[in-house]
Amino acid sequence: MAQVRATIADRLFVLEAQEVERHLRDELPEPIGEHYVVIGGRRFPPKQVVGLATGLDRADFNTHQARRLLARLGFTVGRRSKDAVPVGAEGSGPHGGREAEVLRPYRGRWVAQRGLEVLIAADSPQAVLAWLDRHGQRADAMFLVPDREDQATGAAPA
Amino acid sequence: MRFPYKELPGEDRDYLRPVVPVVVEGIAQAPQLCLLDTGSLHNRFGAWVGEAAGVDLGEAEEERLGVGGLVTTARMARVQLTLGETVWEAPVWFCDPWPLAFHLLGQEGFFRWFDVRFRAASYEIEITPGS
Repeated sequence: MAQVRATIADRLFVLEAQEVERHLRDELPEPIGEHYVVIGGRRFPPKQVVGLATGLDRADFNTHQARRLLARLGFTVGRRSKDAVPVGAEGSGPHGGREAEVLRPYRGRWVAQRGLEVLIAADSPQAVLAWLDRHGQRADAMFLVPDREDQATGAAPA
Repeated sequence: MRFPYKELPGEDRDYLRPVVPVVVEGIAQAPQLCLLDTGSLHNRFGAWVGEAAGVDLGEAEEERLGVGGLVTTARMARVQLTLGETVWEAPVWFCDPWPLAFHLLGQEGFFRWFDVRFRAASYEIEITPGS
């Protein structure tokens, strides 16, 4: 696993990707602004991740420092406005299959969605509601992304 | 009001479902995805919605219903629902367990209040509040 030394706010940190993942295991992502980092299949704001991993106050570093550090650790970083919705999905439906592609990683989880974007995914509807309340967010819709056919069609399970 | 069909991911194929976001009074921050289920007589929602919205089901009688091949226990309450700008009050049966990814809007609790046109070929639903 990559180990990275970085000086942030005049303090030296030695971070490992595994350790960062461990810090986030029980954390729900905060609302994504423009930038995000993908960790454990979930998108987090870079400053949330670095704040948790270092214990630093988020006022002590900026998004670009956080993003650079996480990229050096080997995580995928991205910019929401450019690539929130996959292009080139070839399916049927009002969005040509793009919405199904956006939702596919969340099968079996409860989500709050705004436009095509998933604001939050969690293991229970209560956790989704709590997240929306905590962050003052409003969704367009919330639902369970089905991971079995009967959840989407109402057909009796086999 | 026009709503696109929902694209839901599946194992071998994806699903296109005629669903709409309905606000349940008390949880306005999270409109609930509901299937326009012409075959259902009544509105059926997962029980957790009632709990989250603070619906008092204490006096409600328990009923046993079949939903999606599952027998569930349901209790009814009248709740305020909103779709777009239209607000109506309807009986909702809150069911536990709940087997579906979305809730169900039925004839008595929804379709009697709205004119609904399904345009399956163009993946669109058009809904007009009834007179």
